[in-house]
Amino acid sequence: MNDTRTGSGRLLAKKKDGVRKFLKDNYTGWLFNMPLTVGLLVFTLIPVGYSLYISLWSTNCINIWQWRGFDNYIRMFTVDSREMGIVLLNTFYYVVVSVPLGLVVSYMLAALVNNSMVKGVKVFRILYYLPCMIPAVASALLWSDLMRFTANPATQGILNKVLVLFGMSPSRWFAGEGPSAIASLFFINLWGAGGGMLLWLSAFKNIDKGLYEAADIEGAGRVKKFLLITIPMSTPMIFYNLIMSVIGSIQYTGTLMYSGGPLPGRGSDGQSLYMLGVKIYNTSFKIPAARGYAAALAWFMLAVIGAITAVLFKTSKWVFYGEEG
Amino acid sequence: MTFTANSSELDRLEAQRKRARVKKRCLQAAIYALMIVIAAILLFPYLHMILKSLMTAEEVDSPYGSYFPKTPQFINYVTVFDTGGYAKGFIWTMIIILFNLVAVPFSATLIGYSFAKLKWKGRSAMFAIMLGTMMLPAAVTQLPLYIIFSKIGFLNTVLPFTVPNLFGGGAVYIFLIVQFMRGIPAELENAAKIDGANAFTRYMRIVLPLCKPVLVYVMVQVFLAYWGDYYGPLVYLTAADSPKTLALILYNFITDNSSGTKINVLMAGAVFMSVIPTILFGIFQRQLIEGVTMGGLKG
Repeated sequence: MNDTRTGSGRLLAKKKDGVRKFLKDNYTGWLFNMPLTVGLLVFTLIPVGYSLYISLWSTNCINIWQWRGFDNYIRMFTVDSREMGIVLLNTFYYVVVSVPLGLVVSYMLAALVNNSMVKGVKVFRILYYLPCMIPAVASALLWSDLMRFTANPATQGILNKVLVLFGMSPSRWFAGEGPSAIASLFFINLWGAGGGMLLWLSAFKNIDKGLYEAADIEGAGRVKKFLLITIPMSTPMIFYNLIMSVIGSIQYTGTLMYSGGPLPGRGSDGQSLYMLGVKIYNTSFKIPAARGYAAALAWFMLAVIGAITAVLFKTSKWVFYGEEG
Repeated sequence: MTFTANSSELDRLEAQRKRARVKKRCLQAAIYALMIVIAAILLFPYLHMILKSLMTAEEVDSPYGSYFPKTPQFINYVTVFDTGGYAKGFIWTMIIILFNLVAVPFSATLIGYSFAKLKWKGRSAMFAIMLGTMMLPAAVTQLPLYIIFSKIGFLNTVLPFTVPNLFGGGAVYIFLIVQFMRGIPAELENAAKIDGANAFTRYMRIVLPLCKPVLVYVMVQVFLAYWGDYYGPLVYLTAADSPKTLALILYNFITDNSSGTKINVLMAGAVFMSVIPTILFGIFQRQLIEGVTMGGLKG
């Protein structure tokens, strides 16, 4: 008896020494890292757990708590399937057009101002980036004015005047119904292509100059060099930007600025601009008793993002990471 | 090398070179033209915004008005500050920004230092967790955070935009700082280590001053992020008497203009909101572009 006690005591002392040694070796690191550890716990991990928890209830998170189990997750595809159908179709449409369009246009823009043939390309790079310095709300006000639709042809916004000038009928743009509403968002997004352009330019800078010199010796022209060197060598950046813009576009909530009302961001007919990010916002903050459902919707969004990212990674054979990679 | 070309061959070469030169000139002209057209298209909305902000109320209403204001109405800028609530909005926005301009660099460099320069058990695990949270959509945490903030009385104050930034201010900034700090040679610190300087002294005296380039980038990004953010204020500042940021004020005007504020005054507000970031970009252009390069994939 006596023996074991001293044994366990010795073990305890040893363990204590171990802890002390661990602390002695590592406390500086953990101390410096403390803000992150605490921050991640309080502002990320606890909220994530809490979100998972409330997604299983029908609740306003104040005084109404009704256990629902997985009903909130089932609800998306049953009771709420009509609206979810619209929302998912809109989100899909937005992502599938907006992402490739944005990537291709900004890539072309970068290729244009990456030439060494003319003087002053640097000035143009800055000019192209300037629209990105306009805050989203300011640009929403601006585009609402440019795209203004009125019955009186004289008071139309300038874009409609241009349409009329070319013999077309004026458009209601984002205030319209059907797919043309989201299409005007593509238009607005392209205006910010300068942001993507900067990313591509930095990718071009990282390409080994020796490749171009070798191609020059072989007598390759500009187009050939672009197709056979620039594009393949920037595939890692293409892949990175593709993933980032897909993830960003799925979460897009910008339509909140283009359509007001008690449930904002849905478009003039209540559905033409309605996307998943906005639906989560509305369900979270505009319909008080539906917070459990809102949390479930957010987890659904995470699952969609995870699945799409996984597919993109699985099909990323076209990305060229250099010879040794 | 021997030159065996006779005169006719020389002529032919000369003509060929001339043709190549003409071709190059044409290509240059075409590229210039294209670049100018694109610049005009991209900059036209900016110009439109400025012109509208200088018009009188009659001019913006009149369907037959000129595209240019007759006499620039700088009074619109005074009006938007006076009656549009922009003065208060500006002050609140600047309070949030100034706090974060100190909080984010300080906390993010402490964390960055622990990842880049200190050796401790759990370091790579923490780094992986941090990078993992970058992928987490804000939609998952926004509702629980809203409820937590409502329980501790943060709603309708500036606290949701300031307090969380004491804890690093976001994985992207920390990641950039770690990348930068890894490039600082260890020899610089070794000498101080021999002299008995502790980690905090080495961080303060040696590493932090060298981080100036990346910190300039982080600070400008922090400024731009909080200057233009309307979504956070839209979620957390809903009460009528809450401190409203500039972006939220403008957002409220665009979605519900029940006060009937004229577009020329609103445009003056939008121009003000755009001019400050543009000036910042003008000053810190080099750092901003280099920051993009740092943030992008290497190699």
